[in-house]
Amino acid sequence: MKATKKKAVAVLSTLALVTGLLAGCGSDEGQAAEGGVQNVSIAIAQVGDVPSKDNEVQKKIEAYTNTKLDVQWIPASAYNDKINVMIASSDMPKIVKVQYNPTVTSAMRNEVFWEVGPLLKDYKNLSAQNERFFDNIKVEGKIYGVPVFSDIARATVIYRKDWFEKLNLKVPTTADEWYETIKTLSTSDPDGDGQDNTFGLMLFKRYNEDQYSFTTRLGVSFGAPNKWKVEDDGSFTPEFMTPEYKQVMDLLKRLYDEKLLNQDFAVFDSTEAEKKYDSGLVGMRVGVAQNGKSQQERLSKNDPDGVVDIAGLLGPNGDRVAGQTGNSGILAFPKSTVKSEEELKSLLAFIDKLMDPEMATLLMRGIEDKHFTKVGEDQVEMSDFDGFQREVKPYRDNFPYVEGYNVPKLKDTELGEKGTELAKALAEHAVPNPALTLYSPTYGDRGADLDQMIADAQTKYIMGKIDEAGWQKEIENWANAGGNKIREEYAEDYKKQAQ
Amino acid sequence: MQQDKTWGNRIFDFLNHGLLLLIGIVTVIPFIYILAVSFTSPSEVAKGGFILFPKEFSLAAYRYIFSTDTLIRSLGVSIYITVVGTLINLLFTSLMAYPLSRRYLRGRQPILLGVLFTMLFSGGMIPTYFVVKSLHLTDTLWSLMLPTAISAFNLIVLKNFFQAIPDELEDAAKIDGCNDVGVLFRIVLPLSMPAMATFSLFYAVAHWNSFFSAVIYINDSQKWPVQVWLREIVILAQSRIGDTSIEETEIQPLTIRMAVIVFSTIPIMLVYPFLQKHFAKGVMLGSVKG
Repeated sequence: MKATKKKAVAVLSTLALVTGLLAGCGSDEGQAAEGGVQNVSIAIAQVGDVPSKDNEVQKKIEAYTNTKLDVQWIPASAYNDKINVMIASSDMPKIVKVQYNPTVTSAMRNEVFWEVGPLLKDYKNLSAQNERFFDNIKVEGKIYGVPVFSDIARATVIYRKDWFEKLNLKVPTTADEWYETIKTLSTSDPDGDGQDNTFGLMLFKRYNEDQYSFTTRLGVSFGAPNKWKVEDDGSFTPEFMTPEYKQVMDLLKRLYDEKLLNQDFAVFDSTEAEKKYDSGLVGMRVGVAQNGKSQQERLSKNDPDGVVDIAGLLGPNGDRVAGQTGNSGILAFPKSTVKSEEELKSLLAFIDKLMDPEMATLLMRGIEDKHFTKVGEDQVEMSDFDGFQREVKPYRDNFPYVEGYNVPKLKDTELGEKGTELAKALAEHAVPNPALTLYSPTYGDRGADLDQMIADAQTKYIMGKIDEAGWQKEIENWANAGGNKIREEYAEDYKKQAQ
Repeated sequence: MQQDKTWGNRIFDFLNHGLLLLIGIVTVIPFIYILAVSFTSPSEVAKGGFILFPKEFSLAAYRYIFSTDTLIRSLGVSIYITVVGTLINLLFTSLMAYPLSRRYLRGRQPILLGVLFTMLFSGGMIPTYFVVKSLHLTDTLWSLMLPTAISAFNLIVLKNFFQAIPDELEDAAKIDGCNDVGVLFRIVLPLSMPAMATFSLFYAVAHWNSFFSAVIYINDSQKWPVQVWLREIVILAQSRIGDTSIEETEIQPLTIRMAVIVFSTIPIMLVYPFLQKHFAKGVMLGSVKG
């Protein structure tokens, strides 16, 4: 009896499996457009929780742009892998948000995506934006998508105003001033608790990597180039071979030697560093202009008397700010799914509409009387910021928007408004990275390893594990391992593009 | 027996126990820490004041993660793929392992070589993706269960286990009127419960931890297993800092991250004690049998 039962279970489970299999196959595919409503499928990055399909924000976007949105949210933790699979298999929705990296640029070079450059002038909102945004995403001089705009330059000093006033300090400009300021902040007990527990500056392990690199930002303010320098003869020099950048390394080395810098910076986790800033133990940092406000908020929770302020990164030669890519991704249109130029144009029109006043307000401020309220002519105030972060931010972060364009002003804290203005003002002082859109096959292949090599060598130099000669030797190693080739390839491509 | 112990023995025992206790504590403490942090108020964590026992007990983190149904739904998905997926695994693995374990099966060697080959060389991510896609499995939970239905390694171990079952039993069953399917389900499998328990644990843990295939094959966020969210909340908090993204990514407070870890680990940990006794037996597969 028992055995037959078991047999029955086995047979049943096999049956269930087969039917389930068949059911699984019948996935829905392809919906036709209905009544002039355009179907737009789009793959973008997940920000926080994924909004439900029929949420108010998406409905408003659909109603205004007359589309039916099908959003595919991709978790950031595997974003590039997923995009790579999608590109390799040509299995893409009509709009894909990609990052400007070697895989994507080579896909662009191979015409996987539509070129949109010549079309952009027909769209009033897109063509109204600073050309720099578009220049920064060029591949062989062509534009293959719409950048999700972000500030081009925004590095600032975020510092404890109350401590600076108490100790009679001012925001440093030269390497020597930086040293003095950090020394004073960490030795004269600015928080007045009688303990030697404060830091002037705190570094964490990725301090010299990517476009957010602390060393690049500080170096540029001292006069160093942004990642690469074009010499008069058209050759390329990496930043770490310039004397101005060396100042930053020597400054950090000196701070490290005198124990004015956290000694474990090479392995220090960034979240731990954030905690120290939040609990009011650190005097200053190089960060993003808009971060001043949130820094103040977090600090106030632990230290109600703490006052945060921001200032431009002033160097000995005036404002020089390391320019960034000016985008947080590119909305690209795959040729495999967008079949005709007509369709491409309608998708561009959709994106352009997202920057109309009504949509810009929705994306940047949320829904009236839900997320914001009007306070006077063309000015609004956030009333439910948490709700905005949860419901609107996922869309805003993925669609093009420019603060101050087609959107009512935001009544903010003084520091918040200062941050917004400063970020705008700094754009004029941006020092661009000349190699940003240049093509170097060697960098595509081995760039990450080479970058890491130099980053590690810098850490060793700062910690005194190698001396001047050792550092020079590391540079030589870098040059021989492919660095020189990158320099040549950049120079060549630069010459080609200048013609 | 007690008097047999010399002083040397006692010292040895003492040191042994001490060492094991130490190792035990070292392994358990991180879990306790995670549990403790998840029940603490964020401000206390920020101050970094406590070591193992928080002063301010708080359920805020759990209230937060249960404020939407995302995590509960994804937990449901995870449980579903773990249970159904493991059943599929066990069924298919034993269906293939049993014939391969019978020496009289013709063409056994080439098939085994083929299986071995897949252990050494795999098609890679993109060809696999194409297979899954052309079978219309993308965006369904089947894509998480079917491509991994048989693990080559487990198959070979199970085949060896089946081989150890005497042929005479099979003969006896056949004489009593059992066909091949009957032999497998009524004789061989009941005799292999320790092995099945072991493999169900292996498979279940793999399903529970599946993250990458979910991200690659599934576009609909409603169908993500809990690990995708876990990774999003825990890993991102570390890598995305230093103003990488648009303005600033809010970092989930440590308490919330820890609560998510607790929430996504406990269910699979609960399974363990029930399978543990089989597990001990099953792992000894190759050893001498009484």
